[in-house]
Amino acid sequence: MNKRKILVVDDEITVCKSICRAISSEEYEVDTALSGEEALKKDEQGKFDLVITDLMMPGISGLDLLSSLKEKRPEVMVIMVTGYPTIKTAVQSVRSGAFDYIPKPFTPAELRSLVSRAFKKIEVEEKAEKEPTPPKMPSGLYYMIGHTWLRKEPSGLASIGIVSDFLKPVGIITALKLPEKNESVTQGEECAKITDAENFNHRIWSPATGMVVEVNERLKEDFSLLRKDPYGQGWLFRIEPTNLEEDLKGLVVSK
Amino acid sequence: MFLRKPFEKFLSLPLRAKFILSFLIVISFGGIISLVFGTRLEHRTIFNLAQAKVRHDLASAWMVYNEKLNDIRDIVRLNSARESIQRAIKINDKETLVKYLGRVAKDFDLDILTLTDAQGRVIIRARQPDISGDDQSQDPLVSRALKGDTVTGTQIIPREELIKEGEDLAERAYLRIIPTPKAEPRAEDHEEKGMMLKAAAPLADDEEGKIIGVLYGGILLNQNYEIVDRVREIVYKGEKYKGAEIGTATIFQNDLRISTNVKNVNGERAIGTLVSKEVHQAVLEEGKQWIAPAFVVNDWYITAYEPIKSIDDEIIGILYVGMLEKPYIDLRNNVMLNFTGMAVLCVILLLVILFFITSSIIHPLQNMVLATNKIAQGDLNHKVEINFRDEIGQLSQSFNQMTENLKMANENLIQWGKTLEKRVEERTKELRDTQDQLIQSEKMASLGKMAAGVAHEINNPLTSILINTHLMLEKIGKNPAFQESLALIADETQRCTNIVKGLLEYSRQNPPQKAYSNVNQIINRTLALLENQASFQNIRIVKNLDGHLPQIKLDKDKVKQVFWNLMINASEAMPNGGSLTIISQLSTDEKFIEIVFIDTGVGIPKEAMNKLFDPFYTTKTSGTGLGLAVSYGIINQHQGKIEVKSEVGQGSVFVVSLPINAQ
Repeated sequence: MNKRKILVVDDEITVCKSICRAISSEEYEVDTALSGEEALKKDEQGKFDLVITDLMMPGISGLDLLSSLKEKRPEVMVIMVTGYPTIKTAVQSVRSGAFDYIPKPFTPAELRSLVSRAFKKIEVEEKAEKEPTPPKMPSGLYYMIGHTWLRKEPSGLASIGIVSDFLKPVGIITALKLPEKNESVTQGEECAKITDAENFNHRIWSPATGMVVEVNERLKEDFSLLRKDPYGQGWLFRIEPTNLEEDLKGLVVSK
Repeated sequence: MFLRKPFEKFLSLPLRAKFILSFLIVISFGGIISLVFGTRLEHRTIFNLAQAKVRHDLASAWMVYNEKLNDIRDIVRLNSARESIQRAIKINDKETLVKYLGRVAKDFDLDILTLTDAQGRVIIRARQPDISGDDQSQDPLVSRALKGDTVTGTQIIPREELIKEGEDLAERAYLRIIPTPKAEPRAEDHEEKGMMLKAAAPLADDEEGKIIGVLYGGILLNQNYEIVDRVREIVYKGEKYKGAEIGTATIFQNDLRISTNVKNVNGERAIGTLVSKEVHQAVLEEGKQWIAPAFVVNDWYITAYEPIKSIDDEIIGILYVGMLEKPYIDLRNNVMLNFTGMAVLCVILLLVILFFITSSIIHPLQNMVLATNKIAQGDLNHKVEINFRDEIGQLSQSFNQMTENLKMANENLIQWGKTLEKRVEERTKELRDTQDQLIQSEKMASLGKMAAGVAHEINNPLTSILINTHLMLEKIGKNPAFQESLALIADETQRCTNIVKGLLEYSRQNPPQKAYSNVNQIINRTLALLENQASFQNIRIVKNLDGHLPQIKLDKDKVKQVFWNLMINASEAMPNGGSLTIISQLSTDEKFIEIVFIDTGVGIPKEAMNKLFDPFYTTKTSGTGLGLAVSYGIINQHQGKIEVKSEVGQGSVFVVSLPINAQ
């Protein structure tokens, strides 16, 4: 089996190198590019399985790079590295087809969890080409693609859960961290965390901003509900949204 | 056109004069008309009454006149039938006849009593027995008596006939005519004929029925006042008016007064005067009855004249009655006087009433004029007296209302003037505050921009440090010599991360996402989160929340963050415990909701007050110093404000004001 090829793109060489070091292992072949233009050139020479790119770059920006790559090769995985002020853009990038994003600064472990999940997803998808297609996303929900879903409840609250696509590459869940009641969650920021058998922590971004009013207690005892009924009994928590209309603009509605 | 000038003059008269003049004109007009018509009516009525009376009196006078005539007839007839007389005639006993006739004439006051034979020749005269033999058969009465009738009549007797009967009769008949201005003048200056009431009766022989003679007798009316005085007595009962007889009667021989009780200026009977031209014309020439006011001798009378006719129907004289006009005139004048007096009295009464009516109108108007002048001079306390609820009363009331309003407006103006200075001061202070706030927000904004830039730039090196520290920890972390140091680097880098996060939070320029929210709910939620914190264990929390506050538009999360920061600060100011009082209320001007946080902590020193909201200013050993700066920014974004009062050692009061009608 060929080594997985990763391209790290950042306009600052120190950051570039640091990221390289953080993820370098025998399994991966890591290359770097200091601009969007260089990244596209390198991708033409040898196709990368995963591109980790900074969002804010002079010249071709991270988002431009994402759309150019996705246009040529829809199967390419892209992880966006964002600074805090661009969190909205990060959510936007997920809508545009990025696998995930990670806010700066981050620890090597956090990045590795993400990379591992990305490659596992590739594996799942390669398998899936031989097997029947996975169930589609139920309609009437709002999605942060590849991550979470949101359901508008008649009471005005919003239920939040994890999409099945997220869980497939994760494998066995060993721990689940949910927010406390009355805690605030912010769109695009961490709201929950899943730990898998390899001790990777998978951060889950909240699809909306609001205050947690109810937590699914059953889930704490039975993680399997997440996999069995991800859009029903597998819900994580409910929030009282602050400004749902604005948040929904960053999400995708399933048809 | 010619009325214009006086009319204009009238219009510029005072109101009272106008009223009185108008009324006077109306009253005078009515008064004059009623006076003229009333007088006429009254005059006519009285005149008619007087005429009717005098007509009636004339009839009475005729009765007296005819009565006298009948008396004479009766005397003549009675005596003509006497046997003694007939026998005396037959035997021609002159002595007996003279004696007898003389006695009869004397007894009955006859002026003449004469006996004729069957041929009409005088046999004997009672008063002139010596004169006889003359023929009287041509006499109209005698000639009728010779035919067997007893007749009476008034007759004009010529002077020679009178002389035959007696010199004294001719003398009585003789009258010198006294000229009067109104009379129809006569050619002669005296009258010598007489006028006589006369009766003649035949003497019939008893056996043969043959007429043997005629007896006739009469009285001379000239200067015989029996009839006229009797008329006056019967008709007027001798009534007098201011010394003058009211009623008069006169017998005219043709146009000459021969018997009367009308007096002349000397108080004598006014015989010898002539009748006036008009009466002469109407009565003597035309034979009419004449009733009218007339000037008789020297006084006005209401008179009635009627012709006296002879047996042959010739007009030979006039019977007259007259009433002194003066009583009627006086009556009329009296009535007139009463009438006029009453009218004058009415006018005076009306004027008095009018005076009071105009007073009742003019007095309030004058009051109004006075009030207007007073107000014009600036006396706004003057009030118009309201007497009645009429139009003027209403006007007065409205006027008072207007004055009242004017006064209030004036007072407000004065008050406003007084407070203007204070307002200017207040407004200056507000302006200064606003300016301070502007400076503060400007400071915040520029600091924010800088912070954002710094954060972004720091983020990249932090990323490298964090990654590499962790990598080193992975590789050589098992060596205790490095482990501690590397862990410290990792932790401190994490702290840097948090600071950067705070900075970015502070500088975040995206607008707050506002929705209608309940402030009390946000306070309660924040408290619920904080109560579990360790720093809150010794703190007593007192809530005084107004349950009727309106919902306002705000970003719940951001506002919650502000409350969180303020409550955390309060708790940290009270390390040894204390109380935190949280109040929500409407501001006094009801434009803001105020959330007040009162702690009993250490307080804030004066020198720290100005820097309190600056980023990175902190008195605490831990913390970023961004809490209040971020809070300030958030409240600023809500068009609200945060105010602080503090006393070192006493505690601090933070007041967050959020506008109710924010955009």
